[in-house]
Amino acid sequence: MIVRALGRLGRYAWSGWAGLTGLCCIAAAWQAGHEAYGSFILPAPLDTARALAALAASPEFLRTATETTGRALAGFTLAAVGGSLIGVLAGYSHAAIRAVKPILTVVLGVPPIAWIVLALIWFGSGGGTAIATVLIAALPIAFAGAAEGVATRDRALDAMARAFGAGPLRRFRSVVLPHLVSHLFPAWTTTLGTSFKVAVMAELLSNAGGIGGALAVARANLDVADAMAWVVLVVGLLLAFEYGVLHPVREELERWRAAGVPWGVKR
Amino acid sequence: MRLALERVGHAFLGRTVLDDVSLALDAHETVAIVGPSGCGKTTLLAIAAGLFDPLSGGVRRAYARHAAVFQEPRLLPWRTARENIGYGLEVRGVRRRARHAIAERLAEAVALAPEDLDKFPVELSGGMRQRVAFARALAIDPEVVFFDEPFTALDVGLRRALQDLVIGSARERGYAALFVTHDLLEAVRVAHRVIVMAHRGGRLAGMRTVADAPGWRDERTIWQTAEAWRTGDPLFAHVFGVEERA
Repeated sequence: MIVRALGRLGRYAWSGWAGLTGLCCIAAAWQAGHEAYGSFILPAPLDTARALAALAASPEFLRTATETTGRALAGFTLAAVGGSLIGVLAGYSHAAIRAVKPILTVVLGVPPIAWIVLALIWFGSGGGTAIATVLIAALPIAFAGAAEGVATRDRALDAMARAFGAGPLRRFRSVVLPHLVSHLFPAWTTTLGTSFKVAVMAELLSNAGGIGGALAVARANLDVADAMAWVVLVVGLLLAFEYGVLHPVREELERWRAAGVPWGVKR
Repeated sequence: MRLALERVGHAFLGRTVLDDVSLALDAHETVAIVGPSGCGKTTLLAIAAGLFDPLSGGVRRAYARHAAVFQEPRLLPWRTARENIGYGLEVRGVRRRARHAIAERLAEAVALAPEDLDKFPVELSGGMRQRVAFARALAIDPEVVFFDEPFTALDVGLRRALQDLVIGSARERGYAALFVTHDLLEAVRVAHRVIVMAHRGGRLAGMRTVADAPGWRDERTIWQTAEAWRTGDPLFAHVFGVEERA
């Protein structure tokens, strides 16, 4: 069993080559942009990597990176858990979804930057502002995914489970939850991306340190290579959490989907 | 008497689907319900299976375990065939090891290869999926089984094989069955009695008893009985007349 799980993990890692191809395409386009517009507008990918390495050598680097990661992940966890829970409850009632949807539109319609201003007034400048903004910006996405997942559950399977005497809790676990996964994970991926983006933005605007703060410093110094290096770092962190944590978990939970695909890169 | 429906009536949004329907199912008896599509057969079965309560009348059950086989296999796509067969047992709190042992035994009974047990439903053919669904119903050792047009989607040869499986397992295990179908030949083959539903109003139009027990009839008699009822019996005239127009 463990051997089989390792085999699947190996296959997942192997499919990373396909993902790497996409990243290399971006790097190539980036290099082309650099050659067309010069180092000041767009530093070369390798120069950026060098700048990132130089930053990584400094003692504050780790603190800066963990600060932002911690805020983004704290906001993500709160948003994903809270949003999914409320979403699941609402998903059982179409009336509840109808009632909540306009609220979502309102919350999503207010730009994150406005939430930052409000959060600054409410929480002052500091980590709380970043986390609160991430929570507000990301929670509706997780909610919508969960509610959609429960609302689109297979009622025929639900009736089957009831015919075999399954109670509501077991029906949720065996019929609704596995279906929910396929709605939750795309929503969580978006939630995670939003979390990192909004966390950096909140830090930049609220002077709360972290990568956002470092970006503000790079901008003040007109240090484009440093700014790019920080951007690359944020994206790298996002990629690491998405493909290192979210996707392998999903892969393991959705083995039955891959079973229908005969060969090749399955995910 | 295993199951009795007493003056059952039901309506969806004011439209009457069932009206004053009474029927009784004896132990070891298979009763087929035929009727044109949209006459309320499936609703009747759902009420008998306890999926919802009728608006009027009642259902009396004198048994502990029932199972159902539906028109579609309705397997959980995220579980292997083995785990699907064990679903009803899992609901009843049977341990994993015992569930798997029962699943293996039943796979043999429904002619499912042992290596298919570890496959997911997407990897199985339509006939094999329906076999898994049938095994899932048998796994809980039911006293009553509800069949809702279970073989409609299968080709003729496969349908015959699965009908024989139903006849054989009903005799062997002694469960009573309520078998909804719109194939008269199927009804005559698997059932002791055939109940006909009226095409409008949700009432029962009448009942016919088939000679001999299921499994003891030869193909010729089955075909002749079905044909005689289809062409000569006024009770069936509306069922097939309506279907031809539809």
